Amino acid sequence: MQTYISHHNFHTLLDTLITGGIRVVAPRLTAGTLLYAPLGESGDMVLDQLPRRSAKEAFFPVCEDILSYEKGGQQVRLTDVEPATFPVTVLVGVRPCDAAAIPVLDAVFSWDYKDEFFLERRRKTTVIGIACTTADDACFCTAVGLSPAETKGSDLFLTPVADGGYLCDICSEKGEALVADGSSLFTELGNVTPLPFASPAVPAFDLKKVKGWLDGHFEDPLWDGTALRCVGCGACAFVCPACHCFDIVDEGTEKSGKRRKSWDACGFWKFTHHASGHNPRDKQPKRYRNRIMHKFKYYDDKFGQTLCTGCGRCVRICPVGIDIAAIVAEIDGMAVE
Amino acid sequence: MNNTIDISHYAAIADSIRAEAARILEQGVVTAVVAYTTGRRAGSVQPVIITAAAEAERLTFTAASVNNLAVYLTKAKKDIPRSGRIGIVVKGCDLKALVGLMGESQLQRDQLYLIGIPCAGVLASTVRPAEALIAATLAPKCRECDAHLPEGCDYVPAVSLPSAPTLEPSYAAEIARLEALTPAERWAYWKEQFAKCIKCYACRQVCPFCFCEQCLCDRNKPQMVDTTPRPAGNTAWHIVRAMHLAGRCAGCAECERVCPMDIPLNLLNRKMAKELKELFDYEAGFAVHEKGPLNSFMEKDDQSFIK
Ligand code: SF4
Ligand code: SF4
Ligand code: SF4
Ligand code: SF4
Repeated sequence: MQTYISHHNFHTLLDTLITGGIRVVAPRLTAGTLLYAPLGESGDMVLDQLPRRSAKEAFFPVCEDILSYEKGGQQVRLTDVEPATFPVTVLVGVRPCDAAAIPVLDAVFSWDYKDEFFLERRRKTTVIGIACTTADDACFCTAVGLSPAETKGSDLFLTPVADGGYLCDICSEKGEALVADGSSLFTELGNVTPLPFASPAVPAFDLKKVKGWLDGHFEDPLWDGTALRCVGCGACAFVCPACHCFDIVDEGTEKSGKRRKSWDACGFWKFTHHASGHNPRDKQPKRYRNRIMHKFKYYDDKFGQTLCTGCGRCVRICPVGIDIAAIVAEIDGMAVE
Repeated sequence: MNNTIDISHYAAIADSIRAEAARILEQGVVTAVVAYTTGRRAGSVQPVIITAAAEAERLTFTAASVNNLAVYLTKAKKDIPRSGRIGIVVKGCDLKALVGLMGESQLQRDQLYLIGIPCAGVLASTVRPAEALIAATLAPKCRECDAHLPEGCDYVPAVSLPSAPTLEPSYAAEIARLEALTPAERWAYWKEQFAKCIKCYACRQVCPFCFCEQCLCDRNKPQMVDTTPRPAGNTAWHIVRAMHLAGRCAGCAECERVCPMDIPLNLLNRKMAKELKELFDYEAGFAVHEKGPLNSFMEKDDQSFIK
């Protein structure tokens, strides 16, 4: 179903939610960097750029406590973090590449183990996606089967209209509820002119063909050729909307402290460093290979999807210019049916 | 005011690099050349290591040739096969890092073949690599560069450096602004910046001086620094980084360029450099020092802190 909201009413909607005690998270400048962060008022929202970090942190924070411990005499007291206390949230201004990654994360966090932390935030969050009208040459959503108008993962999806307002696609019950609650602010779809969608330039990949090549090329000169220069940081994984590896550590003292979950990255040498001292991914190209394999093969083997939505963030920020779109294009070019 | 940086000589530099790299590989002077090549995106440039003369035609030099390639010669990057003498393309700031590594006995001059660049400046960031080089996009380090012409190289392309507009140094201004704040205000500023840190360690991984085989921050027996990106671990990491680089940092600003969270890391480095200049009259330069200012003692060193 489609409806319309003016620019002014959209801001009123968000401000009403904020004053009503709902947590509204949107792209906002945070110490000089655009990040998804809770808004104090709708005017702080910045919608014309892709935030540096993806929207995954609304469900899967950079770092979170999962329990605390306290030792008194022979007793150890554990206190769980109660996901029921997580706030009801509206996540706004999510680009199609970020929104489409949310169902991709759902699959992994609700597979054999149900991650209550992720799933409770997911249940309590309504996602307002927004179509892209501009793209740069790092963007490649269209190459991985998505598009600047993709509604996957959004509950309500906005398409900017020439007059500054938005055409709204209601994509789920949550989206319907949001529109019903603010019904006076939405109006019937008149004679509106949606702005033209962006058109990323990277030609579409044949993802099945790429996977077919990966199935047979765990060992290949390509890995050294492309990734010997990889410096092994966590930048690409940390800005990625779909990467979801985490580490669990206890921090504190012998007497009391917290168990914490924080983002981890397969680019780090430490990631697969065993207690014995052995490291099965003993060279950087093997670590980078895992990044490609996980995104375009392993995840597909398990969940039937690709673990990359083409947001281009890793392409833009890699310190040494490693370009996943160029690598997948190269594999696509080599693959034989 | 003309804010455009004249880099019209970079095309001739690129030609010279290609010819020289082909020559030294062909004649067996070196076994490999570490240089720059173009990427897929418009204007993008990336590091490359070539081992055959035929590959030299892929090399380039542009305003997006930002990387300090010295990092690939450190023991932290031991995956990169090395034998014999290696050719490397260096800007002045990169050369200072190589010189520092020589001072720390990590590299020997005769193992290197230095191709020096008469450098007018590079981009601050490569998020948009096709951007024109103007005052606003120029790396802040280039505003205050004293090393446009690297010294003591084996080969320098025969081009002359175009005249450059005079630009106000930005680190000095920012340091002055921060120094004028109260300690509490200054701490609030850094706390806000460090709060953005996600512990991706890109800053560490690109730094030529972060060659420890196991960084203190990666050790867990005992755990010296909290690993999570929270205030305690982030502050500890940034103090460790700033202190371990003091008196060693060459000012290449790679750490700052690559930080995906835009944390002004080189500001801390510049502040440390300023202290070292004032206290020990030390500056990173083109001359190899056998002992850095923080691991040598001189009679004239300030001892007023001993009470
Ligand atoms: S792998 Fe790169 S382009 Fe793909 S979703 Fe992750 S950050 Fe975006
Ligand atoms: S690909 Fe780039 S961003 Fe990713 S680990 Fe390697 S150097 Fe870091
Ligand atoms: S600390 Fe930063 S500026 Fe200094 S040498 Fe290392 S990467 Fe370069
Ligand atoms: S590059 Fe930036 S975000 Fe990453 S560890 Fe360094 S300071 Fe933190």
